[in-house]
Amino acid sequence: MEKVGIVGFNQVKMYSDANYGRYEMIFEAVRGALDKSGLKKKDITTVISCTNDYYDGRTISNLFTVEVGGGYLADESKCEMDGAHAVLYGLMRILSGNHKLAVIWSGSMPSCYPYHSTRLYETDPTWERPLGYVNDITAGGFQMRAYMEKFGVSKEEIAKVAVKNRKNAAKNPLALAEAQNANITVEDVLNSEIYSDPVTELMVAQPCDSIAAILLAPERQALKITDNPVWITGVGYSQEAYYLGERDLSISKSMEIAGKTAFTTAGIKDPKNEIDVAELFEAYAHEELILAEALGLADKGKAANLNSEINGDLAINPSGGAIGGNPPCATGLIRIIEAAKQLRGEANGYQVKGAKKAIASGQIGMCAQNNILFTLEGSD
Amino acid sequence: MAEEEKVIVNNKGLVRAEFNFWVGRYMDKFYDGLEQKKIVGNKCPKCGDVFCPPRSVCGKCNENLSLDQNWVDLPDSGTLQNFTITHFKVTDRRTRKVKDPQLIAMVQIDGSNTAIVNRLLNMPPDEIKIGMRVKVDWSEKTTGAPSDINGFVKV
Repeated sequence: MEKVGIVGFNQVKMYSDANYGRYEMIFEAVRGALDKSGLKKKDITTVISCTNDYYDGRTISNLFTVEVGGGYLADESKCEMDGAHAVLYGLMRILSGNHKLAVIWSGSMPSCYPYHSTRLYETDPTWERPLGYVNDITAGGFQMRAYMEKFGVSKEEIAKVAVKNRKNAAKNPLALAEAQNANITVEDVLNSEIYSDPVTELMVAQPCDSIAAILLAPERQALKITDNPVWITGVGYSQEAYYLGERDLSISKSMEIAGKTAFTTAGIKDPKNEIDVAELFEAYAHEELILAEALGLADKGKAANLNSEINGDLAINPSGGAIGGNPPCATGLIRIIEAAKQLRGEANGYQVKGAKKAIASGQIGMCAQNNILFTLEGSD
Repeated sequence: MAEEEKVIVNNKGLVRAEFNFWVGRYMDKFYDGLEQKKIVGNKCPKCGDVFCPPRSVCGKCNENLSLDQNWVDLPDSGTLQNFTITHFKVTDRRTRKVKDPQLIAMVQIDGSNTAIVNRLLNMPPDEIKIGMRVKVDWSEKTTGAPSDINGFVKV
């Protein structure tokens, strides 16, 4: 694959109820990314936004973000999935050879709408939606139970993931304040309110307000913009059956395929030993384990045994991951930004020593129906 | 802080744009079945997987399951494949709590290869076991709608 570099990024601090409008937030993210990289509006050749009409309360919602998102009289398009999918779209625009700088921004403001109820709208409108038993939370309950039953993993082992990510989030100044729990224990997680048994409140990546932006450029331009670009070396993407009842929720086949594709492109033969840091979009604590296993970072059912602390065997979600804050549509994009920070040595307070190769994932759908994985490498 | 917030615009009730979905020809047959307290599925002619509710296409084989054949009559019994328990009302716009926890199950109807999601009824949570046998609890007056199934009960 031709080299495409991440040349800049910016993320707005995550809030459970941000005290300003989403349009101000979009501007802060996008203009901030340009300013930090010494770029101007005229340098942008294409803009990809990622929001969701339902979450924005408007149809064709990118029509309203032209000015704030840098898309004024520019080539602009929208991806209505996760921000990581928007990065794939931006990458394709660059690889077409027609563009010198792509701005990709994404995010949402769930303080304005009931996020978990809106997830009901993902279900089949003629069968599951009228019954109203499936949303992201109950689906997460099914997924966690399926994983525990299949592999004999305990609730405690899963709660440990939430503890690690919440402690990591405490070191990340952009993480959601409510998720920055430096002194949290496994008992705290298990004793928190039951959302959908066995999933408890503190195992959930809490939806919050934020916008993030990333800038991509082809190799030649990237090296003109920065001495320290992060290269996208591979990407893989897959999705599985729509109905929960058709899937084996204890594993992630789609992530397995996404991982294989990305690793092949990047020439990574032994992910477990070659990768220094992984930023995975875990909507629930148990998903981090399922996704890590799908990527071959641990044997099936054994990811809980992996030392995934910041300076462990393989750091997973040193930023706090999605549990550290989950702004709908931005979460996967933030994983890519956090992985890029690690590779540039800019993750102050949660830096993985000597990180050279990283992976970052995005997802969308019930129980991570659709997964996308990026492999990234830093500059020498 | 929230109490002090002043709502300037609240679109509730301002726009009514309810969507009337057509269930489609396959689910039409399924709902006709429910009205007679019968469960039907359909079978992929290639891999043999039986779908319940029926599908027009098998995703795995990329094969059309033609409307005039492939139908399979299924019993109203099945196996509990998975379950979750929640105090939150899934449909409420603010996901408010409900008085009694809802027991939500994934049940594989006998003879099918897929599971359907519905409630578990009259069952103390500590008696629920994956793999247990359950059957449909039918609504007294069926109308050919999802609500014809009250939920599943222990056999």
